[in-house]
Amino acid sequence: MGTLNYIARRLLFSACLILGVSVILFALINAIGNPIEILLAERPGVTEEIIEAVTKYYGLDGSVTDRYFTWLGNLARLDFGTSIIYNQPVGDMLWSFGIETLKIQIPGILLALGLSVLVSTLAATRQYSRTDFTVIAGAMLGHSLPGFFIGILLILVFSYWLGVLPSYGAYSTRNLLWDSEIADGLWHMVLPVGMLTIFNTATLTLLMRSSLVDVLRQDFITAARASGLPERRVVFGHALRNAFIPVLTYLGILFGLMLGTAPVTETVFTWPGLGALYIMAIQQLDYPLIMGETMVITVMLVGATLLTDIAYVVIDPRIRLG
Amino acid sequence: MTEALLEVRNLSKHYPVLKRGILLQRKAAEIRAVDDVSFSIQPGETLGLVGESGCGKTTTARAILNLVTPSAGSVRFAGQDIVPVFRGSDRRAQLAIRRSLQYVFQDPYLSLNPRWTIGETLREPLRVHLADQQSAWQARIDTLLEMVGLEPHHAWRYPHEFSGGQRQRVGVARALAVEPRLLILDEPVSSLDISVRAQILNLLVELQDRLGLTYLYISHDLSSVRFISTHVAVMYLGKLVEIAPVDTLFATPGHHYTRALLSAIPVPDPGAASTRIALQGEVPSAMNRPPGCPFHPRCAAALPVCSREEPPLTAFGPGHRLACHNPA
Repeated sequence: MGTLNYIARRLLFSACLILGVSVILFALINAIGNPIEILLAERPGVTEEIIEAVTKYYGLDGSVTDRYFTWLGNLARLDFGTSIIYNQPVGDMLWSFGIETLKIQIPGILLALGLSVLVSTLAATRQYSRTDFTVIAGAMLGHSLPGFFIGILLILVFSYWLGVLPSYGAYSTRNLLWDSEIADGLWHMVLPVGMLTIFNTATLTLLMRSSLVDVLRQDFITAARASGLPERRVVFGHALRNAFIPVLTYLGILFGLMLGTAPVTETVFTWPGLGALYIMAIQQLDYPLIMGETMVITVMLVGATLLTDIAYVVIDPRIRLG
Repeated sequence: MTEALLEVRNLSKHYPVLKRGILLQRKAAEIRAVDDVSFSIQPGETLGLVGESGCGKTTTARAILNLVTPSAGSVRFAGQDIVPVFRGSDRRAQLAIRRSLQYVFQDPYLSLNPRWTIGETLREPLRVHLADQQSAWQARIDTLLEMVGLEPHHAWRYPHEFSGGQRQRVGVARALAVEPRLLILDEPVSSLDISVRAQILNLLVELQDRLGLTYLYISHDLSSVRFISTHVAVMYLGKLVEIAPVDTLFATPGHHYTRALLSAIPVPDPGAASTRIALQGEVPSAMNRPPGCPFHPRCAAALPVCSREEPPLTAFGPGHRLACHNPA
C-alpha cells in the first residue's frame, strides 16, 4: 500500500518543484528586458514603430503575469513557442537536437556503468593489491582531469596522430564513410562517447570500489563464505547489490545532469546536440529557446531524482516510505 | 574414550606487521593472534572458549573454519585434517566440511544481508548444499523457523523487522539449515539484552539435545559459559593457558589468569564479601608479547622463571591441563 502512496506524494512534490523553477526562470528572463529591443535597437533603419510591431508579434507586450500564464498554458500543451533567431518551433528543435545528445550520453553512462562494475569488483576483491592501486590511481586521474581535456587528448591521439576517427560532428558532410549512414554515424560517436565513458567510469569506479570494500568487510559476507557459497556468488549476489546504493544516487544525478555536462562535450566535438544549442541560444538571446531548454533540463533532473528515489525503495527494503 | 569430533593441534595464525619503506614493504614484526593452540571436543560436548577481547578467540574459530588460513597446525574434523582440503581445490570435499561445520556470528544484524528476506537468507545454504532437492527447500525453511521458535510467515520479513533476539534465532536457523554436526558459536548472546540471553541459551541447549550437536562456544561472559559448557578453555594473548571440565575449572582454577577472570563474575548478593582479584596493568599488545609466560607481568605469583621460560601446557588433574610454572 505504501509504495503507491509514496510515489504519488513524490510526483506531487516534483510538480511543485517544476512550477517553482518556471516562475524563477520567467522572472529572470524578464529581468533582462525586452529582447527585441536589445536585438534590434542598434541596427540601422530600425524605428520605434518596428520594434513595437515586432514586440507585439512575439506577444511580448502584455503584463508580466499575463505573459507568464500564457507561456505556462502553452508549455502544458507542449507548445514551446517559436525561436526568434531560427524561426522554427522550439519543440521540434529540442527534439531533433535532444536525440543527438541522448545518442552520446546514454551509451556514455551505460558503458561506464558496466565498465565500473567490472573494474571496481576487480579492485575491491583484491584490496591493497597492485591491481587495486592501479585502479584507484587511474580512476583518480580520470576523475580529476577536466572532461574537455580528456576530449582534446582523444582528438589529438585518434584524429590528429593516428587519423582514424573523426574529430567533430555527428555525420560526414561530404562522403559518407562506407556509404552507410548508420556506420558513419556510429563512427562519429566513438570519440564523444569515449570521453563521456572515461569520465563517468572514473567517478563511478571510485564510488563503487570504496562502497564494495566496505560491504565486503561485513559479517554477512563472512557468513555467506562460511556457508560454502562460491566467491563469485558472494561478490555478485551479496556484495554488489549492497554496494550499489551510493552508486545509484550518482547515476540519478548523472542522468539528470546529462544536459549540464553536454555543453562541454558538444563544444569540444562540435556535436549538434542540446548542449551546443543551449550555448548558441544564450549567446544570441533566443529567449523562447533558452526558456524551453531550461524547462526540459529541469524536468529531466527532477524526473531522474524521482526515479532514483523510487529505485531506492525497490533496491533497499530498509528505506522507510516516510 | 571415543574419537574427538574436532581436534585442533598446534593451530597458529600469525599476521605480519608491514612497514613501508621507500619502495617496498618489509616485514617489521609479527602479531601472533593465535599461537600453538591445541584442544579437542568430543561429540555432544560443548567447549567454552573464554578470554578477554583481542585474545584470539574469534581468530581461532575462523582459522578452524578456514575463513582465515591458519599459519600452522592441523584441524582434524571427524578424523580428517581439513587444512589441506581448503588449500587444495577439491570443491566437493570443501563443501562437505562446510556443511558439517557451521558458524553463528556475534552480531546477528551485521551477519544477515539487509537486502534479503529471511527466507532468501535461509534458502542460500540449501541452494549450495542441497541443490538437487529443490522441492524440499520450502518445507525445510518452515521446519527451521519453527525449530528456533519463529513462525513460517517470518520468512517474508527483512532483518530490520526483527528484534535482536529474533535475529539471533535466524542466525542459528541459518547455521542449522544444512544439518551440521558442529556449531561454532561466536559470542552468540553478547550483543543481546540480558533478558533475551537466557532465551537464546536455552534454545541452544534444547537444540543440542534434540539434534545431537557439538558446540564450540566462544564468550567472555563466564556465567553463560558455565551454563552451557561441558569443558572450558581459557585463552590469553593468543595462547591457551588452561583447559578443564567446567566444574573442575570453576572449583579449582589452576592458572592465576583464570582465577582473576572467575573472581570478576558478578555475584548477585550485595552482602557477599568481595574477593575480586584486581589485575595490574593492561593486556600487553600482541605485537610485543612479554617473553616467557605471557601473563607474568600482571601475575601476583610470578617467579623469576616465568619471565624466562614459557610454561608448556601440561596435565594438572583428570582432564585438566595448565600452562603455569607456579599453579595455585
